[in-house]
Amino acid sequence: MLSADFVIATAVGYVGLLFVLAFFGDRRARANTKSFLHSPAVYTLSISVYCTSWTFYGAVGNAARSGLEFLTIYLGPTLVFVGWWFLLRRLVRISHDQRITSLADLLSSRFGKSNRLAVLVTCIAVIGIAPYIALQLKAVTSSIQAVAGSSEFGQGSLAGIDDVGLAFGIAAAMALFTILFGTRHVDAKEQHHGVVAAIAFEAVVKLAALLGVGIFVVYVGGGLEPIFRRAAEMGVSAPTENSFGDRWVTTLVLSVAAIVCLPRQFQVTVVENSDESHLRVAGWAFPAYMLLMSLFILPIAVFGLTVMPAGSNPDMFALTLPMFYGQSPLALLAFIGGFSSATSMIILESIALSIMVSNHIIMPLVLRFSSGQPSADGQGVSHLLLVARRVSIILILSLGFFYFFFTRDSNALAPIGLISFTAIAQFFPAVLAALFWRDASLKGATAAIAAGFVIWVWCSFLPSFESVSPQVAMLVQHGPWGIAWLRPEALFGLDRLDPLSHAAFWSLTINVVTLTVVSLLTKQSALERIQSTLFVDVFRRGAAQRGNFVRGSATANDLFFVAERVLGERRAAALFETAAREIGVDPDMLEPSPAFIGKLERELAGSIGAASAHVMLSKVVSGSDVSLEEMMQMADETQQVIEYSQQLEKTSAELRSTAQKLEDANTQLRELDSQKDEFLSQVSHEVRTPMTSIRSFSEILLDPQGIDDVQRQHFVSTIHQESLRLTRLLDEILDLSALERGERSWENRPVDAEAALERALQVCDALLRQRDMRVEQGPRAGCTMVEGDADRLCQVFINLISNAVKYNNATKAVLRVTSSVRAGSYVVEIADNGPGIPKSERTLIFEKFSRGQHGASDQSGAGLGLAISRQIIARMNGTLDLVPSPLGGACFRVRLPVVGAG
Amino acid sequence: MLSALCALCWVISVEPRKRVSAMLALTVFGALLLVPPLVLVFNQPISHFGVPQIVIYLFLVWLGLIIGTAWLSRTLAPDTSGKPDGLEDE
Repeated sequence: MLSADFVIATAVGYVGLLFVLAFFGDRRARANTKSFLHSPAVYTLSISVYCTSWTFYGAVGNAARSGLEFLTIYLGPTLVFVGWWFLLRRLVRISHDQRITSLADLLSSRFGKSNRLAVLVTCIAVIGIAPYIALQLKAVTSSIQAVAGSSEFGQGSLAGIDDVGLAFGIAAAMALFTILFGTRHVDAKEQHHGVVAAIAFEAVVKLAALLGVGIFVVYVGGGLEPIFRRAAEMGVSAPTENSFGDRWVTTLVLSVAAIVCLPRQFQVTVVENSDESHLRVAGWAFPAYMLLMSLFILPIAVFGLTVMPAGSNPDMFALTLPMFYGQSPLALLAFIGGFSSATSMIILESIALSIMVSNHIIMPLVLRFSSGQPSADGQGVSHLLLVARRVSIILILSLGFFYFFFTRDSNALAPIGLISFTAIAQFFPAVLAALFWRDASLKGATAAIAAGFVIWVWCSFLPSFESVSPQVAMLVQHGPWGIAWLRPEALFGLDRLDPLSHAAFWSLTINVVTLTVVSLLTKQSALERIQSTLFVDVFRRGAAQRGNFVRGSATANDLFFVAERVLGERRAAALFETAAREIGVDPDMLEPSPAFIGKLERELAGSIGAASAHVMLSKVVSGSDVSLEEMMQMADETQQVIEYSQQLEKTSAELRSTAQKLEDANTQLRELDSQKDEFLSQVSHEVRTPMTSIRSFSEILLDPQGIDDVQRQHFVSTIHQESLRLTRLLDEILDLSALERGERSWENRPVDAEAALERALQVCDALLRQRDMRVEQGPRAGCTMVEGDADRLCQVFINLISNAVKYNNATKAVLRVTSSVRAGSYVVEIADNGPGIPKSERTLIFEKFSRGQHGASDQSGAGLGLAISRQIIARMNGTLDLVPSPLGGACFRVRLPVVGAG
Repeated sequence: MLSALCALCWVISVEPRKRVSAMLALTVFGALLLVPPLVLVFNQPISHFGVPQIVIYLFLVWLGLIIGTAWLSRTLAPDTSGKPDGLEDE
């Protein structure tokens, strides 16, 4: 038979053992960084601090009361660890890079090193965790009473002490123990290897105890089947069928948030992590640990319901079942297991919370009032931090105790824990946003957490006092001042949900909406932008750290003072000596570089949090030449320079294309020039031929002898014809140059274009007949008036028709003439079935001195016809183009605006 | 069903790049298997070996997640993304 005295003595002895373990663990870890304590196994076991007495006692009670719901508390974390690559790896990497010490530090660091946010997170965590600590106190108290209550003998020295007194004693002992344990010194990275060793040991103890009880129950019950069958026969079976409603999803979501955001989980998973690769093992090993923990919970609950007397507390089945069967050693093991799970939780939770309180609330206050004057003894801040942490631990346990004191009448353990989970889950949206959403802003995160917290207080925290306070009961029943839609468990008239789901739904929904909307509406500060990039792109950029102090004017001496205050003289000196050795100078001559100041800030952040470290160094590095804002301005200017250079590049591209065009034009010019030369020689030749004949004939005529009148007559007429030809050539040249210079002008007046075309065809009739060319008459427009000069227009048509005749060498030559009125324009097309114009010449044929190279049977023209025609048509505001011919040869299109057609 | 699973395992074992995607799929599908409506499919008043079917189902999914994660984590290449290169040299 166990007695309370014996059990308490065992518990004290067990705590003593833990203390010894922690002490030697610390020594060993310090002496050897590759020791067993840095292994993934110990890391995984330390994470299992997640399984508290809520698991050990509460899950059995929960299973007995509401079936499988207890499983969600372990399935949620399983999912987080199965997906460790996506969330936990990121958290661990960022926290290593930024020397993060707590969840509050993480959020504050991400959102511009804001201390206000850190204070908010810390306060909410401390208040939110109070029910959770109360749960542990209640579990330990109940377990001691379960042992003591079984007999008069069992009470021992506890006789006359009620549960409040017992709980107070436990809380006080825990506070003392945690202070001795966790606040012996301030560590660089807030890692507590000794504590972790003790926690890992406790994890093994509680697993062994619960498995022991489970195997014993299965053995006594005669196997799983008889246990479940007997329960079914008695009608007391745990209600497994109705578990999958809104509560199932809610508790799953809450447990996902809790495994990341609970201060102690953040501490062991992220801060105490010494090697990122440990997550690889923890990813499957921690879910496996939880599976083993949960394996026998349902059998224990079902068996307890069948054999234990009606009215016994199902939360205590794991302890009372072995006692019922008189198995004292097993009962003692179960008690130690439950005690282990409670102590490990309380120790780590209060250490984690005390770090947050001291770093984010007490340190900033001290910094504000000490006005930057380092105290005489170098250990000042270090010592102050330790005192602050001890006070915080006492405060945190007191809050837990008071919560226990006020709600001691409610029975079950699990609902209390879920109240804490809902509070802690309010950090989860902000944490996700911090890691994945670049635009999440400080104001958004602060407003979201505050809004979620307010809803939690109203919907979850307040109603938990319903059983002790009639006022609260009234409030829950009717709402404040009778306003029904403000009732804490039916906010905005939503009364279909279970109270927990209701609180979780409203608080998280409002939290997420606030975070999104406020972040979208507000602007990030410069520091926030830098930090958000560091966090979101942690895997993208090389982990090169940018110090936020740029060109500091701080002397090494000033910095050393600051470092000494926080880190202690020895570590500060070591830090400075290492830095000096790295750049190869004497430590006295060390010039603090921005990189060094950045490193120092991170080291300080490891002890006092990012926000405090930043403030502290800002005081010393105040006279810095370049402030952060200026830095951002410089970045903006750089951006502008980049934009300017992009503009330059664009301009230079334009220049390149212009140069290309010029080059093309130049090529064309050269070609024209060469054609002109060719043409000039042609003209010279053309001019020379008649001149030669004129000269020779006139020389013959000068010598009158030997020629008769008939010959004379012939010679004179030849001279006449040659001079006419010469004149015509010169006329053409003059005509074109006059047209181009705009000298030869005529008045445009309405003329009948169709008549001009008809006249041209008549003029060319003889030419066509001579070449035996068939004229194909296409559709004609009929009488159409255009602005122009009838003779000139006729000249253009004649030129086009005679060209078609001249260059056509087809056996059955065809000329096709069509005219029409299209879209207010008179359009004439003159097409032939000749060889057409080669691609290379198409751009040139309208130029002066240009002549078709192929197909011309006689090269008598001067190559000016088309150039003149185009000039003429242009003066009539029309166009002359070469278009694809329907007959396969060339086709010229004349387009002239019709008079009065708009 | 089993052969499809084997084929999947084989594909992932020969294509290391797909392991991270496989991990995401494992997490997402694991979550889907644990919430209504899928969970309701197995929530029948049947017992195997005296244990309600739904309890066996949940523990089997759980075990599957553990084994899947162990296998994927073991074969995953060492993660070097974002680590500083040659920082020691400076």
